Amino acid sequence: MMEFKQSGHLDPALTDPATRKLRSDKLTGRWLNTNPDTQGIVECTIKQDGELFIVDVFCAGLDCPIHWPTCRTHPLANLEEEAGQRTFALSATFGFEFMTAETYIRVNKGVLVIVLFASFRDGSKRSDYVNREFFYRP
Amino acid sequence: MEFVQLCDRVEIDGVAGPLDVAALSGVWINSNPDTNGIARMEFSDAAGELSVRVHGIGPDGLIDWGLAPVRLFAASPKSRATAGFTCTYDFGFAETRLQAMIMKGLIVLAQFHKFKDNSERMEFFVREYFAVVHDRY
Repeated sequence: MMEFKQSGHLDPALTDPATRKLRSDKLTGRWLNTNPDTQGIVECTIKQDGELFIVDVFCAGLDCPIHWPTCRTHPLANLEEEAGQRTFALSATFGFEFMTAETYIRVNKGVLVIVLFASFRDGSKRSDYVNREFFYRP
Repeated sequence: MEFVQLCDRVEIDGVAGPLDVAALSGVWINSNPDTNGIARMEFSDAAGELSVRVHGIGPDGLIDWGLAPVRLFAASPKSRATAGFTCTYDFGFAETRLQAMIMKGLIVLAQFHKFKDNSERMEFFVREYFAVVHDRY
């Protein structure tokens, strides 16, 4: 008997080989922020490399977008998305000396959604904060 | 001040205090009565440290996950009102990371489940909605 802390831990889909082969093309590609005036993430590109996904984000800077360090991450099965969509979601963490940005990335009805949790450790008195932005395929 | 996106380029006047946690207080119930994930969450404040007690739903009823300390998040670097939280449960056989946003009176809870046993279960992601229990109506 497998251990569990919720019934979801026992979902047969989690051990179904087909789950590991869910379509990734809904996630991969180049995505632009739906808000052209964003002061956060401007652009995101997602590529698949075997079992890993490679996430690059570019954020609004003073003169040009700032390329954050590339993140390589494992996919998570996203079994209960709205409208019965089954796909992958990603969890990507970007580390800087003064700040860590923990994100989760998912696609819902063709829109990429990035939720970002920023934690500061530089004594700047800035609050840790959470932000959500939406992206479309150009 | 260091920044890697313009929205982080802010100056904070005065002394930064703890975030206002009023938005999280109370008992939160899953909006989906048929969930097979998390049924309820209760927040408690002890000595200025906020914790959450999660109850999952199992085949035979509620499963108490115990208390976990939460890290609080505002809606912007300048805000002092809580707009989200994160915490982690390590069950030994699995680790569950919770990342939550408060939106329009709901907690939108993202769950990341990673298995550490040899059950070959794939890591998975679930998003659920929670409403605070109240007696106003």
